[in-house]
Amino acid sequence: MPLTRRQALASAGAAAIASGLARPAIAANEPIRIGYLPALTGPSSSTGIGINRGIQLAVQEINAAGGINGRQIELITRDTQSEPTKAVNGAAELTHGEKVSVVFGPVNSGESLAVVPLLARGRTPQVHPCWVDTLTDTKKYPMCFRNAPTNQQIGAAANRYVVDVLKRKKVAVISDTSGYGTATVNAYVPMLKAKGAEVVYQGNVDAANPDLRPELLRMQSAGAEAIMPWSVNAGFLSRIINTRGQMGWDVPIVGQTTLGSGQTKALLEKPEYWAKVYPNNFRPVCYAPGGKVPERTTAFLDRLKSAKIDMGDTLLWWIALGYDSPRMIAEAMKNVGPEPDQIVDYLNKLKGFPGVYGDISFTPDQHDGYPDDEVVMVEANSLKDGAFNLAPGYGA
Amino acid sequence: MVESIVLSGVAIGCIYALIGVTYNVMFSASRVFSFTAGTLGMLGGVLGSLFIARAGMPVVVGFVLVLAAGALFGVVTEVVAVRPVLRSLEQHLYVLSTLALALMTQQLTAIEWGTESRPFPRLFDLARGGFDQQFWLPMAACIAVIVGLELLYRRTLVGRAFLAIAEDTYAARALGLPERRLRMASFALAGMIGALAGFAGGEMLLAFFGNAPMLTFYGFVPVALGGMGNNRGAMVAGLLLGLFQQAANFLVGGIFASVAVFTVFILVLLARPEGLAGAAVQRRV
Repeated sequence: MPLTRRQALASAGAAAIASGLARPAIAANEPIRIGYLPALTGPSSSTGIGINRGIQLAVQEINAAGGINGRQIELITRDTQSEPTKAVNGAAELTHGEKVSVVFGPVNSGESLAVVPLLARGRTPQVHPCWVDTLTDTKKYPMCFRNAPTNQQIGAAANRYVVDVLKRKKVAVISDTSGYGTATVNAYVPMLKAKGAEVVYQGNVDAANPDLRPELLRMQSAGAEAIMPWSVNAGFLSRIINTRGQMGWDVPIVGQTTLGSGQTKALLEKPEYWAKVYPNNFRPVCYAPGGKVPERTTAFLDRLKSAKIDMGDTLLWWIALGYDSPRMIAEAMKNVGPEPDQIVDYLNKLKGFPGVYGDISFTPDQHDGYPDDEVVMVEANSLKDGAFNLAPGYGA
Repeated sequence: MVESIVLSGVAIGCIYALIGVTYNVMFSASRVFSFTAGTLGMLGGVLGSLFIARAGMPVVVGFVLVLAAGALFGVVTEVVAVRPVLRSLEQHLYVLSTLALALMTQQLTAIEWGTESRPFPRLFDLARGGFDQQFWLPMAACIAVIVGLELLYRRTLVGRAFLAIAEDTYAARALGLPERRLRMASFALAGMIGALAGFAGGEMLLAFFGNAPMLTFYGFVPVALGGMGNNRGAMVAGLLLGLFQQAANFLVGGIFASVAVFTVFILVLLARPEGLAGAAVQRRV
């Protein structure tokens, strides 16, 4: 019997429908693919390398415990090499080529600024830990969630420490001339004023300026009681700390996390200059007075120790953040499956996901999930095994 | 306050002056303003830190290697970025070629060395004090270069040959001077001076890839103010620039200090386009 064109099309359609119907049965055993965009190489890779240790441990643990409803997690990694263009290529490959269910990352703001709109257009759920405020927007990017603080929260915590804990009312705010520096000063100064502080000095200085004594003398003569530097440039920050030391000026320096980095430490003229320097950090991964950490963190540290994960060259909060992220995504999938809309619906109602880094909550109108009060200041010179002591004044 | 302005002003002025001289030495031999001068300064700091602080070499060995690396970079600049565009000098293609080489080197340094400032070692084991080595080392380097160049240009045959090709390339070549080799030697010498500037100012500027554009810009100001190819003018203008910049840092501060520096720079050039120490070019009629 000759086969007409209509019959051929009909049988092809039936075959397609049949294969489509058969798919879930096969897919039920397939691994769940999670896209992951860390910067593992390049100039901004230190964060990514730390986060990666936590991610790998979490995925191993989830898979060893039977995966997500019997399905293993397959982490599809694309190294962004600290470059936004490579991050965009990686994101496109993950969504179009690899067909991942959800993407974690990028882990640096510069790369996320390029990737977030792209993933939003592709309707791929995304979780990232980047601080730039505009990287979440429930209207423009309804499938994008942040499981870390925003720059607003970081600044507010530093301001709270200076004004409420240290009781300093006259403040000097300084930054370098980078986009981050100037934007940060412009955002934080009104917040300080709203808290009743008097900003007696406000300045943007070229990070390559070798001599910051004029700036610090101006702060001193204006009566500053605290210096708040906002820069990620270790050279710039160390010059502020060194100049304060040379001047013998006993004033606290409160600000960006880089104040407590190994690069800043390496540039100090004398180790004692690092005293009274308080960078940002996060309460659940800090030592309270007496050297204690929360129970959840103690258990996590034990797990890191038994997995032989090195903490000497990285920061505990990076590892903790990495560890929490796939666990949070896995919890969503365990409850509602790997479909994008269901994952987003679940995350929109997430309340107090118990992370080591902090409890994460989202609502349909709020995709910044990190709690304000967990952002704290720490003693820069107290780094031990990747964690710091809480700054004085927070109590136990 | 005055002491602080003078100390850091003169020290940073000496570094600018040395970068200015680096521009001049390359310019005299080729009529090309090579924008790799600031990159050489940056490399002096980064390589000094690499050899001495990281590799643990003795200071003298590290210093000699830095000068050698500077000379090598100077020669590479001449071969890669200057020689190919010499024939069409009037098209000013050297701006593009030398800037491209400078940017490539800067980015490579950022990738291999990192984007963070790193410490430059204390060269002499002396206690920190008011007139610290971070201030007097650039001054000493500056004096050594002035005296060295004067002796080279006035007392040696090679130095006179340098002056000859600077004065008139074609006539020098007609007299049998090996113009190409002399030009390469000039670029090697400039490379050493630029690297010395970064090395002597290393403790002040730190080993930081971002010093390259800063030195390229501020090092060009003494050249423009002091007169193209005029080393003495560059020295004086460099010192004045350092002092003025430091005074502006104290008086107006922050980014406004840079605005003040460039405002004065433009005003001076409007009043004296040939520079403070330069002579107006005579036009043959």
